[in-house]
Amino acid sequence: MWLIRAFEEKVSALYAARQIVGLLHLGIGQEAVAAGTCSLLRTDDYVFGGHRSHGHAIAKGADIKRLMAEIAGRATGYCAGKGGSMHIVAMDAGFVTATGVVGGTIPLALGAAFAAKENGKGQVAVVFFGDGAGQAGPFHESLNIASLWRLPVIFVCENNGYAEFTPLSAHTLVERLARHAQTYKIPSSTVDGNDLLKVRDAMAEAVRRARAGKGPAFVEFLTHRLRGHYEGDPAKYRELSQLAEWKAKDPIARFTRELKRKKAISDKEVEAIKDEARDLVERAAQFAIDSPWPAGEEVDSQVTA
Amino acid sequence: MLPKVSRETLLDFCRRMFVIRHFEESLVPLHDKGVFGGHYHLYVGQEATGVSALSCLRSDDYLFTTHRNHGHLLARGAQPKRLLAEILGRSDGYNKGKGGSFHTVVPDLGFLHTSAVVAGIIPLATGTAYAAKALNNGRITVCLFGDGALEEGAAPEALNLASLWKLPVLFLCENNGKYGAGRATGAAQSSTMAAFPLTDLPKAYKVPAQQIDGLDSGTVHATISEAVEKIRRGEGPQFIEAQTVRWPGSETNWPSVVQPTDSSLAWDVSGVPEKVREWYRSCDPLLIFIRELVDARQATMEEIAATEKKVKAEIADAVSFAVASPYPRPQEATNDYFA
Amino acid sequence: MRELAYYQAKFEALHEIMAADERVHLINGTFLSLSPHRHVYQELVKKYRDRIMSPPISELGFCGLATGAAMAGLRPIVDISTGSFIFEGWPQVVNEAANAFSMSGGQTRVPVVFHLFHGLRGGGAAQHSASPQAMLWNNPGLEIVLPSSPRDVKGLLKTAVASDNPTIFVDHVQLLEVKGEVPENDAPIPFGAADVKRQGSDVTVISTSYMVQRCLQVAEKLSAERISVEVVDPRTLVPFDMATLMTSVAKTGRVVIVDETHQSCGVAAEIAARIAEAGFDKLKAPLRRVATLDVPVPYSPPLEEYIGPREDRIIEAIRTVLR
Repeated sequence: MWLIRAFEEKVSALYAARQIVGLLHLGIGQEAVAAGTCSLLRTDDYVFGGHRSHGHAIAKGADIKRLMAEIAGRATGYCAGKGGSMHIVAMDAGFVTATGVVGGTIPLALGAAFAAKENGKGQVAVVFFGDGAGQAGPFHESLNIASLWRLPVIFVCENNGYAEFTPLSAHTLVERLARHAQTYKIPSSTVDGNDLLKVRDAMAEAVRRARAGKGPAFVEFLTHRLRGHYEGDPAKYRELSQLAEWKAKDPIARFTRELKRKKAISDKEVEAIKDEARDLVERAAQFAIDSPWPAGEEVDSQVTA
Repeated sequence: MLPKVSRETLLDFCRRMFVIRHFEESLVPLHDKGVFGGHYHLYVGQEATGVSALSCLRSDDYLFTTHRNHGHLLARGAQPKRLLAEILGRSDGYNKGKGGSFHTVVPDLGFLHTSAVVAGIIPLATGTAYAAKALNNGRITVCLFGDGALEEGAAPEALNLASLWKLPVLFLCENNGKYGAGRATGAAQSSTMAAFPLTDLPKAYKVPAQQIDGLDSGTVHATISEAVEKIRRGEGPQFIEAQTVRWPGSETNWPSVVQPTDSSLAWDVSGVPEKVREWYRSCDPLLIFIRELVDARQATMEEIAATEKKVKAEIADAVSFAVASPYPRPQEATNDYFA
Repeated sequence: MRELAYYQAKFEALHEIMAADERVHLINGTFLSLSPHRHVYQELVKKYRDRIMSPPISELGFCGLATGAAMAGLRPIVDISTGSFIFEGWPQVVNEAANAFSMSGGQTRVPVVFHLFHGLRGGGAAQHSASPQAMLWNNPGLEIVLPSSPRDVKGLLKTAVASDNPTIFVDHVQLLEVKGEVPENDAPIPFGAADVKRQGSDVTVISTSYMVQRCLQVAEKLSAERISVEVVDPRTLVPFDMATLMTSVAKTGRVVIVDETHQSCGVAAEIAARIAEAGFDKLKAPLRRVATLDVPVPYSPPLEEYIGPREDRIIEAIRTVLR
């Protein structure tokens, strides 16, 4: 989780210094979902994300140097600079793709699950999306198909209460997206997404079922993004008290407290983890900044296989 | 049971159901003889739903329907001859031949647009409902679609919008797959929709929903009347699933009249081919309605037969009219695509 | 004459439109995209609260809703925001809205405006940089409008709303800060009326949307070399003003078409075909197109810049036709 936090903070700094351009959506405050979920997956499991997916890719095992370089648009990035922040692909880690279209990867995850079922090796597909995706047609179509065909796909909803700049209540009368899973007879649960151990518990059950061929599951994690929708969003639509409330529930701080309480970790060890994370991120950032820009002619490469 | 309406109205329902039935049956030989081409879908077996439900509406309400639209248009009072002319692509058709079966438009009856894309009309229905609410003209919108439409993403998107913005729309789902594989075991509705019952879908959006027997005109009429009332009072959308049993003639891709309809079948199906006899005996809403009329002494068998005879003559006239109607001039193709 | 920024002119238009006709509703509202000035939109929201709706992320749903509302007497402007998102609502736009009037035999009108921002925006990458107008031009039944100046955006938006046909209003975020003259009490600009944005005599450069601004800059640069560039802006693709274009082609005999849609089957391709058919004998040299390259839009800034109708490519094309 510290690696994700340090990474996101560094990306934010680089963006402020204009060394990264375009649209940037950070997952600061939502690290427990990424880390907890992916900690239960194999490398050959398929993970799909959305526009706020740096954390998902990192948690799945993506190389943060190549990730940082991609976000910075460099030739050494995962996609040779062609994808950018919203279109990360780290196939070596099993992170299949992110997307800039809300809910855009949900049908894709179905496909991966379908292939996984055919493969017969117990692989699962996991797709991350936010509460905003719950109103999109393809979300429903995918739940239906996943249920009908008993596909090993786990729908992970990060319900942070906001779709772009409006609260969920402005988008739908439905308060919990897990309700839709129930319509299609998919087992579902709604869990505190800022409690790492609860995240793991919920996911462990879902993954176990899927691997055993029992079909899809839907897990809704209640969480919050501590930044705006995108970098540069002043987020005036959010009450300061709400922000303060969620800051107090910071997933990393909570888990650290819990570990300390159980005497499973010392202050020194915590510092060491933070330092190591920051160090890795610094080196990744340096790698990215030092990397060359892609050459113009590269646009014609890899358009078709 | 019969709807709680006057005898006059009951007889009018009877007449309309006959019109739909004989109109639809008349299309099959026309198609098979090559008088018109393209796909078409018949409303046979669903007349009680269409006629009873649509009778609850005001003349200025909006209706959206699908490829299985003839029954709705006729229930609402469309002229058989102009509808048939449109299906035949002739210039006297409602759309001057530009729409065909799927796209017949009769604005005066509230049919502004019909889409042949499954669920294509569902978002549009939220639109006319939105407009009616904004213009405060008291109109409601009835969105008629089949069970398959709920599989399309457009349907939940529209349900969400309708419930969120409290739109005056009645979602009337005609589920003609009553004995679809899997239902008997209480499992899925079909192999293509995991939600079961279908009403779970609207209920997730807090849209009040209920399932009714679409073969029973009285139930349809009572339920729809109440739903329409609620919508007009501003309570937001309502969802009703009316269940019928698919007509055997629609079993294949191309309709076929396995048994020509005659009112006498209401009391004697011995002459009906065995494999479809059960359908005519217990699943034909028209025959059920006739039996109930007679049982309730609202009409005699003779009166009913006489009505049917008149309707058949009207349909025969419509066929002559449509077949005689000229095709539009080829140049018409490039007219009228912009206002 | 007063000078306004593009976003100001656009906003003035929206205010005037909302004030003049109660039937106009706004569905979704990123008319100023992520511009630093977008807070001015809140003034509109405050004033017309019950005619401005903020839908969920359901393009299929709300494009259909807007279409249906137009059929039933309202005149909605639906904001699709990033042009790429029209693909989420595509069936309602091209299969329902575009067809309704024609297939009903002229009975049902659909006075809806679909507003979107197209093109290369700086780091948008493949899924936020689409220019769908070429695809839409190939789907009969839709009017297509591309403003390029403050005066145009105001005048064309008014006509779009007044039109009884479904209209695609194709805007560009790079235009929002452009300044230009906008007369007080200006009249709406009719569709099918191209505009000669700069008079010239050596070469006709036809361009749309943001590219008009780029071509004007190029024209200014080349004037130092005594190359006189005439910049012609069609302003609407449907309906399309051939007469103004052909007058210019007859005058110069040399044509360069600059447009941001991808080259294959793009807007420039169609214009080129029409000119070749109507005025081959007027051409003194083969015409040239400068369009976005046929690749999915890459993220990295140098790559994104590379694939667009760059200034150097436009200049090169002009020099080529002048040889």
